[in-house]
Formats: sequence, structure tokens, C-alpha cells
Amino acid sequence: MTAAGEVLRVENLRKRFGKEEVLKGISFKVDRGEVKVIMGPSGAGKSTLLKCIDLLIPPDEGSIWLEGVELTSPGINVNQYRRKIGFVFQEFNLFHHLTAIGNVMLGLTKVRKLPKNEARELAEEALLRVHIGRDLWDKYPAQLSGGQKQRVAIARALAMEPSIMLYDEPTSALDPQLTGEVLQVIKELAESGMTSVIVTHEVGFALEVADELMIMFDGEIIERGNPSEVIYSPESDSAKVFFKKVLRLGGVGR
Amino acid sequence: MSNLQVLAKYLPYIFDGSLWSLGLVGAGLGIGFAIGVLMSLGQVYGNPLIRKIVDAYTWFFRGTPLLVQLFLFHWSVFPAIGLRTTALETSMLVLGMRSGAYQSQIFRGSIESIEEGQVLAAKALGLSFWQQSLYVVLPQALRKAVPQLSNEYSIILKDSAVCFVLGVMEIMTRTRYVTIATGIALIPYLIAGALYIALTYLGAKAFDMVYSRIRIQGLVTG
Ligand SMILES: Nc1ncnc2c1ncn2[C@@H]1O[C@H](COP(=O)(O)OP(=O)(O)OP(=O)(O)O)[C@@H](O)[C@H]1O
Ligand SMILES: [Mg+2]
Repeated sequence: MTAAGEVLRVENLRKRFGKEEVLKGISFKVDRGEVKVIMGPSGAGKSTLLKCIDLLIPPDEGSIWLEGVELTSPGINVNQYRRKIGFVFQEFNLFHHLTAIGNVMLGLTKVRKLPKNEARELAEEALLRVHIGRDLWDKYPAQLSGGQKQRVAIARALAMEPSIMLYDEPTSALDPQLTGEVLQVIKELAESGMTSVIVTHEVGFALEVADELMIMFDGEIIERGNPSEVIYSPESDSAKVFFKKVLRLGGVGR
Repeated sequence: MSNLQVLAKYLPYIFDGSLWSLGLVGAGLGIGFAIGVLMSLGQVYGNPLIRKIVDAYTWFFRGTPLLVQLFLFHWSVFPAIGLRTTALETSMLVLGMRSGAYQSQIFRGSIESIEEGQVLAAKALGLSFWQQSLYVVLPQALRKAVPQLSNEYSIILKDSAVCFVLGVMEIMTRTRYVTIATGIALIPYLIAGALYIALTYLGAKAFDMVYSRIRIQGLVTG
């Protein structure tokens, strides 16, 4: 049984690579329209967590539920559910051989099996939502700036009409002056009700958009709650050290 | 008629051989392409058993002379499995299987050069393995492979001359007949050589043209 508003539930997720246990029993749930932000130091397992949710990495133990369906149950057609989870990568991962609009249309024509003209309309809509104007639609990834690439990547995920969006450090590969346009888009989507899980190091952004902030450390969620409480008065020592560092780097203080 | 006049009369006969040679090359490249694509996918994404099989296949076809392969398949393997092939058919199949081994190595390299992230993104969209290969990996990998395919063309063109041992009516076989009929060796072989050079040149030009047409805009890679 699922709660009415529940989109994603992760229960006791575990993953190890060789000897190293990278996820040590992660549990949380995300309700419809909720925005969860995950922060934590490098190597904490944040990317692994997001990839496990989309089954891009098979978890060792635990279960993942999307809108009441257990994705980790055997015999499930993963492709059918992956399309309902939008994934945005740190390195954009656009398809080099396709134009901006071609990138957005691929999933629509091949996975959702929409006719070309319908796919094109949806793709145009998605691109406009991320502020990619008509003049850029026929450009190839190599002809776009980093910020434009990442927004096209967001449109590509968005056009699939996912139940939830997962963002893995969406601005970490961008020049500082380009992060703003991408964060703005993610914020607009979140405000329009898009259920999201966002891994980021942008403290100011987390404060603005997060309904709940979770701190990951060494494969565990060590702290969670209201973003400003977690950021400005963390309880654990690990979180204190982490935020001291991030706040100094990010220049967001009180 | 002087021998030279006889030779002039035979020239078109040699030239017609180039159609046969090109037929061998076309079939070899085509069959080799299908084999090469499947085997390279098997080698990059397949399980250990599939990789072993592909390895053994490429070792055999790259490690033995074409002449051995032609005789082996024409006189032993094909008859043993009940295939009654003509010399032309054997030659096309063997050139194809041989080229498949080489092309699988070419494609393997170009497939491995596609960033893993793109495959991950395709997966995340919900594309199946074959869709990922067909719509994301291969369109890029095959583009990158065109210069090496051009090279493979020039190699297989010259390989095709060996098929004269089965009596396929390609350039070499015909040239030999002409030398026997006219008693002149030098000029016919020079003509045959010139034909091969011309076909190599034209083929390379054609591949260049294809390559410049399908290049991905803005992407500066080899
Ligand atoms: N495919 C893999 N094979 C082996 N170890 C891996 C693999 N992927 C990740 N790891 C290890 O798992 C740990 C967690 O990695 P992960 O990428 O999830 O961290 P992260 O929190 O996303 O860090 P970052 O902020 O640097 O992106 C690291 O120690 C990493 O070396
Ligand atoms: Mg990461």
C-alpha cells in the first residue's frame, strides 16, 4: 500500500563495490511535489544512490518503489519504469550526433513510440520550458555552451513526462557564470510542482528550493530536516565540518 | 594480327574484370559489415562466452592466409555442411567472413570511444539494449569508423585478386588468360596494376565524400 501522495520510496538500500560498502541502508520517501536536496562530501555515495534508484546500478539489497510499484522486484521491465524517472547527469551526456531537439525527441519516438510530429511538439514545449529558444533547436551539442547543454539534457528528461526528476550535481561541471541559468530552470520546475531529488553543493540554492535537506556521509544519511536548520545548526560533527567547508567556499554565511 | 593488336582487342575483357572485382569487394565489405557490427557489440557488451567466441573467430580469420581460407571453405567446410557454392559465392563469403574479423576490430575501437555517459543517458530514458546500440552507439561509432573502412576497402580490393585461384572472373584471372593467349606478360600485368590503383583511388575518394557528408557538426575529433 502506498500513501496517496507518495511518489518514491527507498527502503534499506545497500550497495557495495568490492570490499567497500558505499550505501549502508538508505531509507527515505518523496511525496508528490516535494523537493529533496541531498548534500554531502565527495565519495559519500550520492551518485551511487541516484543511479541505484534508476537501476542504472543494481542495488545489492533493499527495495525501491515508484508510485506503488516495486522496481526491485524480479521480472519487472525496467525500461518501462526508467522512462518515468528523469535523470540529469553532472556531465550532461547529450547524444553528440543529434541536434538539441533530436536529443529530446529520441525517447519520445523510440520509448514512448509517439509519431514524429507529436514528438516534435512535445520536444519544442520541453525546450521552451528550459528557455532553449528556437534558434538553438537545430544546433548540435558541440555547438552549445555548457549551460545550454545541461538545459537541453533537462528538457530531454522532462519531455518523457516523468513522475520524478533526479539531478546529480547538475551544475558541478559548469563555469560559475553558467550555473545560475541552470539552477533557475530547476527551481522553476520545482515550483511548478515537479517532484525532485537534487544532489548539489549549492547551499543558497538548497535553502531556496528544498522541502527537506538530507546530509549523506560515508554511505549513510546522517542528518535530515528543514534546510536552514540542517545547514546552520547541524547536530553531528561530520555535518558541522562539511558545512563549515561548503559555506566558506560558497560564501554564504549569516 | 600482331600480338599487340590481339592485346588491344582483349583490353575490354580485362576491364570487365573490374566489375567482378568490385562485386567481390562489395559483397566482402557488406557481409563483413554485418558480421563486424554484431561481433563488435558482442565483444564490448557481451558475456565472457560471447567474447571468447568472437576472439577465436577473429584470431582464425586474421591469423591464417586468405589462400588457405579460400581452399579450406571451398573444398572442405562448405561441402561438409552441404553448401554447394560456386567459386564466386565462396569467394564472396570468405572475403566477407575475413573482413568481418577485421571490421569487428575497427568497430570495437570506435564503440569503445563513445563515452559511457551517453549510453547511461540512453538507458535512463528507457531505451532497450538494441535501441541504445541502434540509435546512440552505432550512429556515432560507424561515423568514426569511416576512415578505417576506407582502408579496409583498399585492402579487400587487393585481397580479391587472390580469388583467381578459384577461377573467379575478376581482373587477375582475366589478365592471366590474356597473357597466355597473347604471349605477352608485361603489358597486361601493368594494365591490371593500373586498374587496381584507379579503383583504390576512386574508392578512397568515395569514402572521403561520404565522411565529409556525415560528419557531426562542431565536433572536432578524428
Ligand atoms: N563503479 C564503481 N566501482 C567501484 N567503486 C565505485 C564505483 N562507483 C563509485 N564507487 C565508489 O563508491 C564511492 C561513492 O561514490 P559516489 O560516486 O557515489 O560518491 P559521490 O557522493 O557521488 O561523490 P562526488 O561528490 O565526488 O560525486 C566512492 O568511494 C567511489 O570510489
Ligand atoms: Mg557524484
